[in-house]
Amino acid sequence: MILFPAIDLKNGECVRLVRGDMAQATVFSDDPPAQARAFEAQGFEYLHVVDLDGAFAGKPMNAAAVERMLASVNIPIQLGGGVRDMKTARSWLDKGVSRVIIGTAAVKDPDFVKEAARLFPYRIAVGVDARDGRVAVEGWAKTLELSALDLARRFEDAGVAAIIYTDIARDGALKGLNVEATLAVAEAVSVPVIASGGVGSIDDVARLAEPDCALLAGAIIGRALYDGRVDAAEALALIRKARAVRA
Amino acid sequence: MSVAIVDYGSGNLHSAHKAFERAAREAGLRMDVAVTARPDEVAAADHIVLPGVGAFADCKRGLDAVDGMTQALDEAVRDRGRPFLGICVGMQLTATRGLEHTVTTGLNWIGGDVAAIQPSDPVLKIPHMGWNTLRVLKPHALLDGLVVGDGGWHAYFVHSFQLSPAETSDLIATADYGGPIAAFVGRDNMAGVQFHPEKSQKLGLALIANFLKWRP
Repeated sequence: MILFPAIDLKNGECVRLVRGDMAQATVFSDDPPAQARAFEAQGFEYLHVVDLDGAFAGKPMNAAAVERMLASVNIPIQLGGGVRDMKTARSWLDKGVSRVIIGTAAVKDPDFVKEAARLFPYRIAVGVDARDGRVAVEGWAKTLELSALDLARRFEDAGVAAIIYTDIARDGALKGLNVEATLAVAEAVSVPVIASGGVGSIDDVARLAEPDCALLAGAIIGRALYDGRVDAAEALALIRKARAVRA
Repeated sequence: MSVAIVDYGSGNLHSAHKAFERAAREAGLRMDVAVTARPDEVAAADHIVLPGVGAFADCKRGLDAVDGMTQALDEAVRDRGRPFLGICVGMQLTATRGLEHTVTTGLNWIGGDVAAIQPSDPVLKIPHMGWNTLRVLKPHALLDGLVVGDGGWHAYFVHSFQLSPAETSDLIATADYGGPIAAFVGRDNMAGVQFHPEKSQKLGLALIANFLKWRP
């Protein structure tokens, strides 16, 4: 279990949204590299970065901020938002992003994901964003008929690094992860699954430290870290403790 | 033919169950895959899988707590030579001893000790979590058709400890994590993988299919 702190970028600043609504953005920092360094100093091992403007525009929109973050920390970064073609994916991987997350394009152009995973084995993650179990795309503005589970299954054998399962109803809402739905995906596919959306308290982190969640490869934590509801040291200690009882 | 995935309370076995069912289906094998906590079903199975998540000592305790299970495993695997696959801690349990926190006696099938991995590069974090290719030291039926070595298929690892077999000839494949770590051990009809084949996509499904066809 890796706990990934999230850095969502909008207009070059670190923001948190509620359920993906750009109109409800709260700015937490105007200095993304400093935020990245702070997370690294707190002991986080891997950053989850999203170019929110990029997710809507369909191309990178906060590239400068991402590049400054890459230059600022030693821990790996996974990046999503606006990665819709091979040139963009390749460019980020060349620049030092450890893995890129493909969301919208995974739905519209599954062959792109498969080809990207072939060219960059285990460096492509698929973002499966679900609203009531159905896939949402384009910055979550649109919900499709396609079920999240069916989408996850499409990439089972593609050589992707992970599936990042986000429950939109929970994201930024601080009401707890949808552990059951995430575990259902993790049980169904032969790919590591990372949970996202809804961590709102230390109890939610404790839930991730329970044995059944050992099936998950990680979880993303956002707003709760920024507004102080979850103390980073306490959260990381819980995760480390859960790991210590694992072989 | 039947496959028994031993359930001794060591965690969520759904994904392992599904992966074995899928590998059997795709390989065109008529296999009945069952997750079971019953020693009689384990004793009767044609293939036996011992998964394991958690600490060595906890897993061993869990296994010992199922009345008659260790004896059923011993008879089926050691005496009758049924193909056996240990996964993660299930693989580690084939060691003589686990040196995690305290010394715990293992099944002593493959032999050796289970000790903390110590990557030579301090940047490498413990636990080792992620994707690695395999370096094969000697051929094995379970690795047939798998693309190994640099640029090969990847296996998914999540662990802090590794099994060092007492007999070096039992070490079949390694992965590199600041030095070689035991990824695959095998002796006679017994095989064990440190990685999670049920989460390793192509490599995992191919290995499981090979295991289901294995007649050691």
